[in-house]
Amino acid sequence: MNEIRLIIADDHDLFRNGLVELLKKHEDIKIVKSVADGFELFNLIKEGFDADIVLLDLTMPKMDGFEVLKELKNLEAKIKPIVISMHSAGNYIAKCAKMGAYGYLLKNTDESELIFAIRTVQKGKKYFSAEISEKMINFMSAQSVSDGVLSNKETEVLGLISKGFTTKEIAAKLFVSTRTIETHRNSILKKLEVKNTAELIKKATEINLI
Amino acid sequence: MNDRILMQLNSIETLESIQIEKLIKTKWNSFASTQIDNSDIDSNVFRLPDSVKAIDGIHDLTSYHKDKKATIGFILNTEKGRKIEVIDYSDIQNILLERTGMGKSGETYLVGQDFRMRSESRFFPHKKPYDITVKTKGVISALKGVNGRGILDDYRGIPVYSVHSLIKISNLKLVILSEIDVSEVTKPLDELKRRLTTLTFVIFLVAVTLSLFLTRIIIDPIKNMRNSLRIMAKGDYHQTIEYKRSSSEIKEMFDALSQLKASLQGAVKFSEAIGNMDLTTNYQPNSANDVLGKSLLTMRDKLIDFKHQEDNSRTISNRLLVNGLENERRRLSRELHDGVGPYLISLKYYIENNVENALEKTEMKRIVDETISEIRSMSNALMPASIDDFGIGVTLTNYIENLNRSTSISIEYEDLTRQENSNITNHQAINLFRICQELLNNSIKHSKAKNIRITLSEFDEFISLFYFDDGIGFDINTVKLGSGITNIKERVDICNGEVTINALPGNTTFEIELPIEL
Repeated sequence: MNEIRLIIADDHDLFRNGLVELLKKHEDIKIVKSVADGFELFNLIKEGFDADIVLLDLTMPKMDGFEVLKELKNLEAKIKPIVISMHSAGNYIAKCAKMGAYGYLLKNTDESELIFAIRTVQKGKKYFSAEISEKMINFMSAQSVSDGVLSNKETEVLGLISKGFTTKEIAAKLFVSTRTIETHRNSILKKLEVKNTAELIKKATEINLI
Repeated sequence: MNDRILMQLNSIETLESIQIEKLIKTKWNSFASTQIDNSDIDSNVFRLPDSVKAIDGIHDLTSYHKDKKATIGFILNTEKGRKIEVIDYSDIQNILLERTGMGKSGETYLVGQDFRMRSESRFFPHKKPYDITVKTKGVISALKGVNGRGILDDYRGIPVYSVHSLIKISNLKLVILSEIDVSEVTKPLDELKRRLTTLTFVIFLVAVTLSLFLTRIIIDPIKNMRNSLRIMAKGDYHQTIEYKRSSSEIKEMFDALSQLKASLQGAVKFSEAIGNMDLTTNYQPNSANDVLGKSLLTMRDKLIDFKHQEDNSRTISNRLLVNGLENERRRLSRELHDGVGPYLISLKYYIENNVENALEKTEMKRIVDETISEIRSMSNALMPASIDDFGIGVTLTNYIENLNRSTSISIEYEDLTRQENSNITNHQAINLFRICQELLNNSIKHSKAKNIRITLSEFDEFISLFYFDDGIGFDINTVKLGSGITNIKERVDICNGEVTINALPGNTTFEIELPIEL
């Protein structure tokens, strides 16, 4: 049975010790090193220290978890990071996932889940619990990412302009101030390089924006 | 005037004396030429002494008449004998009765050498002429052969204009006098005088009354003005005295006074406004020489400067205070999140490793988990670490997502901030977060809203936070809500932003704009 070589990167001694104690019980997992920050971790990696997984805390002095993730990606290191953090917000999870984390665990995760996550990642799979995934997806769906010339909001405003609504009506519909709509309208005119509403509608129709 | 009257009297007297002389002479001539011997006259009536009879000529025979009736008689002694005749005296009397131009009191009369009247008196028609003694200055001087005129006393003792001369024919010597009462002549004059006096008096009265009236017209307004000036001197510029503007000069004076008052009132009002720190008030100096107005304006400008400085320093100190507070919160939040949190997790691991009893273990782990979750939300409420790591847009997304789990109100949040290269400063981000916390708190606690919509937009020039709820609204002037609104305004203020609040039932909105600080 292959031994899973594990590094713990966290600035809290007590936490590290607790984690070590917890994982000791599991014979397939071997904690080969524990470090207090990202800087120490990288020294090990640069020295060619061999490990399969790093349990990575995000909030650390000198070099935090995000930087570590970034560097690991840059170095194309074979060590697989599992983020273990106090932060439960979707944006942290999404960012970590984006940056190449193999898993995201909350620090108060139960032992069984922790072990399951380590084993899953060891097999080359990613592990995000149902709860974590939900948070991540919720966050990402709230983000309005636009791929067009106009932002989502601007497209929406343009649609309402073309339907003949006044600035005030649009503002009331979209729950923003009239000045916000004015500003959106101006930036739409600017982005589509037109001077007035009539031209705007024409151009928008031409390029199938509305 | 006396001369004119005397001349007239003179001509009347001359005329009459000529008439009388002519009459007597005519009669004498006819007497002398008649041959009829009528030597005797009625001896019962006359008692002519012989001595008189012996003298030829014309005689005044009055004194010889038994009844002393005025009589002129002719006596002529010729060889044929003596002729005596008495002429009809009524002819003479008729001449004398001619009183044209003599008025009411004028008369011409004859006086004999014995100073007794020879013609009927106008004033005593029932008295016999002979019984009236006329020994006046005129008669005396006439008898002396001096014709004269002048104002003298007549036989009644009344002053008269008198002209007198002597008619002397043969033995006849009569004084003829034409007289008129001075009183009658001067009567119109007196009348005139009296009228003039009355008129003078009336004019005098009118003048006095008029001058009093005019004085009142002029003095009263001046008195009013004096009173007005006195009141103004005491500093009261609000008195209103109604003036009767009677003349243009006084009207001009009053206009000038009311202009002065208006200008002082303006200055006083202005200084009152300044006193109340109402520095938006303006004042138009009355002229280039309006030193008071100018110095008030200078004062206001100074005050505005001071106020700006005060406002600035207050904003700065507020900002410092808020920054300090937020830093403290941040520190505490980190402490909880990164300090206390891991200890609790360690505790959990300890429990996991060392507690044998499965039931106890589960229970203890549950309690620790709950504590960790509590710590996490406390830390988030104090200061989400997300603000520093991800910015305000994402932080609000998380915050509202969490909130949506714990409240029945539907909260929709739209994040239109820039994901990369956002220009929202950390300072603005924290204040925006606090404002949203406050607004959400107010809505959830007080508004009875069912829906809340929040949009945070970032533009090149400004950041816009639009907040809407469909709750019951509030009265912006009386609302207290634990000074929530005040806090919001203060935070907008220290970010140099502006807030527009529209709190209607079913449609309460907050429009907050902060400038992009580059």
